[in-house]
Amino acid sequence: MKSRLVACGLLLVAASSANADPSTPPKAPNTCVDCHFALDDARVTPPVKAFADDVHAKAGFTCVFCHGGDAREEDQEKAHDARKGFIGKPIPRRIPELCGKCHSDPALMKQYDPSQRVDQLSEYWTSGHGKKLVQGDTRVAQCVSCHGAHGIQPVKDSRSPVSPTKVAQTCDHCHGDAALMAAYRLPSDVYEKWSRSVHYRARVVKADLSAPTCNSCHGNHGAAPPRVDSVANVCGTCHVTFVDQFKLSPHWEPFKDMGLPGCVACHENHEIVHPTEAFLEEGPESKCSSCHETGSAGARSAAAMRADLTRLDGEIRRATELVDRAAEAGMEVSRVRFDLVSASNALTTARSQVHLFRPSALHASVAEGLTVAQKAAAGGEARLKERDFRQRGLFVSLGLILLSIVALVVKIREHDRRSGPPTQE
Amino acid sequence: MSEAKRSSSSVPEGAVAPGERESRLRAWARDRIGWDDLVHLAAKKRVPVHRYTIFYYLGGMALFLFLVQVATGILLLLYYRPSAAEAFESVQYMMADVPFGWLIRSIHSWGANLFVGVVFAHLISVFFLKAYGAPREMTWVTGTVLLFLALGFGFSGYLLPWNTLAFFATKVGTDVPAQIPGIGHLLSRILRGGSDVSGATLSRFYGIHVAILPAVTTLLLGAHLLLVQRHGMSVPRSVEGKSRRTIPFVPDFLMRDMVGWLAAVGLLAALAAFFPWELGVKADPFASAPAGIRPEWYFLWMFQGLKYLPSKIAGIPGETLGVLFFSILAAALVAVPWLDRRGKRGVAVAAVVVLVGAAVLTVLALLPVPSPAKP
Repeated sequence: MKSRLVACGLLLVAASSANADPSTPPKAPNTCVDCHFALDDARVTPPVKAFADDVHAKAGFTCVFCHGGDAREEDQEKAHDARKGFIGKPIPRRIPELCGKCHSDPALMKQYDPSQRVDQLSEYWTSGHGKKLVQGDTRVAQCVSCHGAHGIQPVKDSRSPVSPTKVAQTCDHCHGDAALMAAYRLPSDVYEKWSRSVHYRARVVKADLSAPTCNSCHGNHGAAPPRVDSVANVCGTCHVTFVDQFKLSPHWEPFKDMGLPGCVACHENHEIVHPTEAFLEEGPESKCSSCHETGSAGARSAAAMRADLTRLDGEIRRATELVDRAAEAGMEVSRVRFDLVSASNALTTARSQVHLFRPSALHASVAEGLTVAQKAAAGGEARLKERDFRQRGLFVSLGLILLSIVALVVKIREHDRRSGPPTQE
Repeated sequence: MSEAKRSSSSVPEGAVAPGERESRLRAWARDRIGWDDLVHLAAKKRVPVHRYTIFYYLGGMALFLFLVQVATGILLLLYYRPSAAEAFESVQYMMADVPFGWLIRSIHSWGANLFVGVVFAHLISVFFLKAYGAPREMTWVTGTVLLFLALGFGFSGYLLPWNTLAFFATKVGTDVPAQIPGIGHLLSRILRGGSDVSGATLSRFYGIHVAILPAVTTLLLGAHLLLVQRHGMSVPRSVEGKSRRTIPFVPDFLMRDMVGWLAAVGLLAALAAFFPWELGVKADPFASAPAGIRPEWYFLWMFQGLKYLPSKIAGIPGETLGVLFFSILAAALVAVPWLDRRGKRGVAVAAVVVLVGAAVLTVLALLPVPSPAKP
């Protein structure tokens, strides 16, 4: 009986082996991994371990695709045979082409990710990094500087150093190195400046991935500073209306002639702070006074625009305060709040129209906003008056109710006195 | 005799003296609606006086608040539009533009809460004074069913402004019957008028709130009052032998009742003026449920209780057992006069346990929800 059971078990094992997926080829030997793992050497073992989780390993690529050699040979010399293409650790100068061997091949890339771009290498050669690498400067960034070498993850994976939330720190790894940047006469405080900007606040604090980080303006593989005459185009990728208006303004041509970098001339490049009306008035925050002298036509236009915007802003604040007070008192204010939103929209429009640099251009929006803001303020005041009316009415009503209660109590007492104590049954 | 009277008075010829007009009116009413019988009935009704007499006022207060709800509800009907597209806006219009619309709506909303509170207090006082004993069993039964109807009014009325809080609370509330094995999902569908809370649910709840519940309540309330009239006020056993003092219901007790009613009107007016009932934000069926949704305070203990139950108890879904427990509790409440026939303390002890449990769960549900930790 026992021997029959053993025989049945063996048959089941054999049957399950025979049912293994025939489409999966037997795993090829990989002596690179076997040896480098067994060596337990701080120089050669960690890359093997990291590669196990690499996007390329998951796609079926092995060590020899980049390093050459023969992964079937157990003998080191044979495995590392230069005649079999073994190159060992690729030198930095060769890395872009090594990666580009596959990543610039549309037919190959289509098999793994049809949406993947294949122009990274050609873009790289146009970048500041690529140009210097060609000249023999191996300190500049190439593929592995940003993506890593053996634990490469897809860009959308948050573990990747170039994932949307990490790319700025990755750039800062080199661009924050004062000694390294000094050699190129580049600033090393770019990340610090960016971290004080509205873009940082939107992207990092508010987790809005549509806000720009380094590669949004500089490009990634073709990373280079925007040229002076292309700054407006770069900013205009997102700030379409502002740039369209700026191109229609009296500043557009003179800026080009003077070689001023468009938007950056007033808003800075990395430390882009929230613009305020103070940009338009004389003082430490003024942007206009650096070109327009006090009393000049330009300064007068700036003052007129500032006065309009400040007036509308003030009226909206006053209305908001009234409406908030009414809301706190429990009054129904949803329609008044709708007016406030309209007024705020008019202020936003007027602020964008500053880029036309003509006071008359934004005056219509300001007038429209003022009308709605004043309507909202009147709505808030009316509701506060209504609240006062309700409370006065309440006190009058409570007085009448109290009087009625007192009269009733007097009547009860009088009735009790007349009718005597409760009847004993 | 009448000739002599007429000649002795100063009333001109052909005119009717005030006293005579009154007696003519009474005669008219007597012949047509039996007025004298009603007056006799009112004069006959007497209220016992003892140290628990104050609890007798709760019934009158509940009736008064119910009438306030009926009156304000009828006024709200003049402007309310029962559709998902217009319900919120119509209430908004009432609150902002209709003269005293804010007052009527706020009184209706606050009044609903006071009404439920007073009905609860009435029930608890009747329970602990053991006023449900023979021959008043049916008075108790109609009273408990009236309490369930009051809760039904609260549940159906909560959705009618069609705001976010009400929408999602109703979603949770109409999910509860779905836990009943077998017919649960059908019940939930019937309540909702579909698989989910929608405009169909609003129409249904409107119909229930303004037609079905008022009709049933009026019938049961009539029966309840008739039974109270038939059996008179119950005197607790602890004071039964000590005193047999009584006062007439009209006008002695009624005048005292009216003091309470006036105070209730004052309280409702103050609440409406200082804390107008919020309208919130219009319901968006496609939005995700906001944090901290919860039903009205009188459903909180059940809501919280269902939350604490484990997902499975002995292989049975926890919520199913919870709903079963609440159903048994409701049935037990109705059956109290028969469960407590031997006059033992078991029922009272069980009631205290349930009340304390419900109070603790309500307090726990009212505690602020901790905001999720920021990443």
